[in-house]
Order: sequence, then C-alpha cells, then structure tokens
Amino acid sequence: MGFLKGALSVRRYRVDGELPADWRERYRESLEANAFREAPSATSKEERMGWVQAHNLLDTGFGNTQQWLYNHYVLLALRIDKKTLPAKLFRAHLDKRVRAWCEEHQRERCPSPVKTELKEALELEMLRQTLPRVAVHEVCWNVNDGWVAFHNASDLVNDHFRKLFMRTFEMTPMLFDPLDFVADRPELAEALVSTGASDLRSEVAS
Amino acid sequence: MTEEMAGAPPHVASEFYLWLWFRSDQGDGELVMDDEAGDVTFWVEDRIAFRPAGDARATAVLTGDNPGTSLEARAALAGGKMLRDLKLALRRGEREYEVVLRGPGIEITAAKLPGLLKGGDPAEILYERAYHYEDLHYVLGCLFRAFAAERTGPAWQETTLPAMRAWVSNAVGRGPDASDDSF
Repeated sequence: MGFLKGALSVRRYRVDGELPADWRERYRESLEANAFREAPSATSKEERMGWVQAHNLLDTGFGNTQQWLYNHYVLLALRIDKKTLPAKLFRAHLDKRVRAWCEEHQRERCPSPVKTELKEALELEMLRQTLPRVAVHEVCWNVNDGWVAFHNASDLVNDHFRKLFMRTFEMTPMLFDPLDFVADRPELAEALVSTGASDLRSEVAS
Repeated sequence: MTEEMAGAPPHVASEFYLWLWFRSDQGDGELVMDDEAGDVTFWVEDRIAFRPAGDARATAVLTGDNPGTSLEARAALAGGKMLRDLKLALRRGEREYEVVLRGPGIEITAAKLPGLLKGGDPAEILYERAYHYEDLHYVLGCLFRAFAAERTGPAWQETTLPAMRAWVSNAVGRGPDASDDSF
C-alpha cells in the first residue's frame, strides 16, 4: 500500500536545504550504511530498523540507483522488525515449568531466583521459534520540490523515520503544518494563528 | 510556515473541515478558483469524526450514507464538538479524488487516486501516483487558502459564522426530517 498501489495515507514533511553536489553517490553509500540488517541472533528481542527497497522488503541493497531513484523521486521503505512473545502462551508454558520444578523437587513453592531462571530459559527457547513482526512503511521523497511523504500516521513510527532520515541524508524533515499552505502570505498565516476557535452553539451567538 | 512561527492552532484544521462541509452543503460544493486550481467540486463522503474542544481524540464517528446531512452530525456541532476527520470527494477536471483529511495537520489518509496504470513498470506507476498526490495536495492548498482568506476577513464574523450557526440550529430544530432536504 502506498505510492505503488492502494490507498495512500501519509504524513508529509518539508525537507529544506541544498542537496550536496554528489548526492546520488553520497546517498547511495549512506543508504547502504543504514539499510536493514537481520538480527545477529535468533534470540534477540531488540527492535531493528533500516531501509529496504520499496518493491520487496528483502531487498536491502542500494548499489543500483535505478532501484530507488526515479528521476527526482527517491522511493524507499522503512522496515521495522520486532520479536514479541505471545504473552498468554508464555505464561501458560512458564506455569507448567514451575509446577514441574516443584514436583521434581517436592517443594510447595518455586523460589524466585529459580523462577527467574526458568523464565529466561523459556524466553530464549520461544524467541528462537518465533518470527519477528515485520512492518514496512513507504517513503517517497521529491528531491526537487523538497517534500517527503511517509506512509504511516503513528507518532512513534514517524519519530523512527525522522531519526533514520536525518542520520542517512543529514537533512531534517520538518512536519508539514497547515500554515505551509499559506507560506507565501505570512500576514495570512499570522492572522490565522491569532484567531480563536469559533463556537457554533446558538446560545453563544445570542 | 516560517521557522519562528508556531504551527497552526488545532482549531484551524477543524474549522477548515467545517467550512468544506458547510460550503459543500450550501453551494453544491463548487468553488471556482480562477488562477489557481480552476473549478473544483467537492462533497462530504461517508465519514465524519468529531472531537471535544481541547481534546485530540475522536469521540464520535459518523459513517454511512451522507453523514453530513444527519441530525447527529449537526447535533454534535450544536453541542460544541469540533471536527477531527472529514472524508471528502474532490473533482478537478477529469480527475476525482477521495480522501480522509485527518487531524490538526490536515493529513492525507486513505486517499484514492485516479490512477489508470494498474501494473507494469513501477517507475511509470510511481510518476502517475506521485503526480496525483501532488495534485491533490495542491488542490487542498487552494481550498485552504480560500478558507484562510475568508476566516481571517471581516466576512467570517459578519456573514459566515452566523450562517453556520443558523445552518446548525435549523437542522437540529427541524429534527430528524432535516436530513431529507439538506442536499
């Protein structure tokens, strides 16, 4: 869903500033440096993020500019992976293991350090069997007109996007504001800012 | 927006949505913007979300056929609620868009673009869709500028706001049958 197909839901940013003279080469390198990388360990719980090609989330190479640069449009996707364990299933397994330990050791209660040990072992075991939750959000950047559209409306995900964009391109995306529509008429923008909310309740009018 | 200036207060987007709804209801939603977007026709589609003043969360969402003409929608306004989202259809020349305008940032969400290319060269698809996205953003900008000029001029207090209040209170006062003749 996004710039290649489906309905479009985007947050728009302004990207001011001059592109470096060697921007194609420079961005190719920094996209490679900030591309998505798989977690080094199957038991990693850490959230991982990086750029992928918009066409396929498994394509993380940016050496060929034709796969991410279309005239003046940079088209990418932000991939975010996170492994999370199903909480209810985890608790159920842990319960069984605690009970098994109590039976084996003929104890009524499982001591806290043992329970922690069992919990950590189970977590590693289940993480190894769990696939990450994978989210992919398209990015379309018009480098000529200085806007970028990010295909996600969550504040948290947009924060991740802004940070990675800044790290990759050394430019700051500024969130679009309705006043940008009247940027060429600052007096209109100022007047709008100084308005108060209109109240439609009829008793207010009378 | 200049770097020194704070962003638009949240009521600006809410009133923009209200103005679009009011205009579409009153004048068949046709605006002629001679030297900008040309003739643009717009109408409210099947979703309106309201929020209480001072709260960003939507507390009432009306969906279905013509929610803009419903008694519930006008009653929400009469009760002091503000608009948070508005689903709008826009026609400019041959092109027709559907979009949910969301929140204080006037975000373009769930936009249906009038693309002709359904498959083939991804570059061609991107050019076409990016062109339509920019066109939609441009048209919204033209509408917003028309709203801003009216909102900040004397006509708002003298004409528009009283007309909006009458539009709301008449619909509420007429009761459930009000929706039958609103459009």
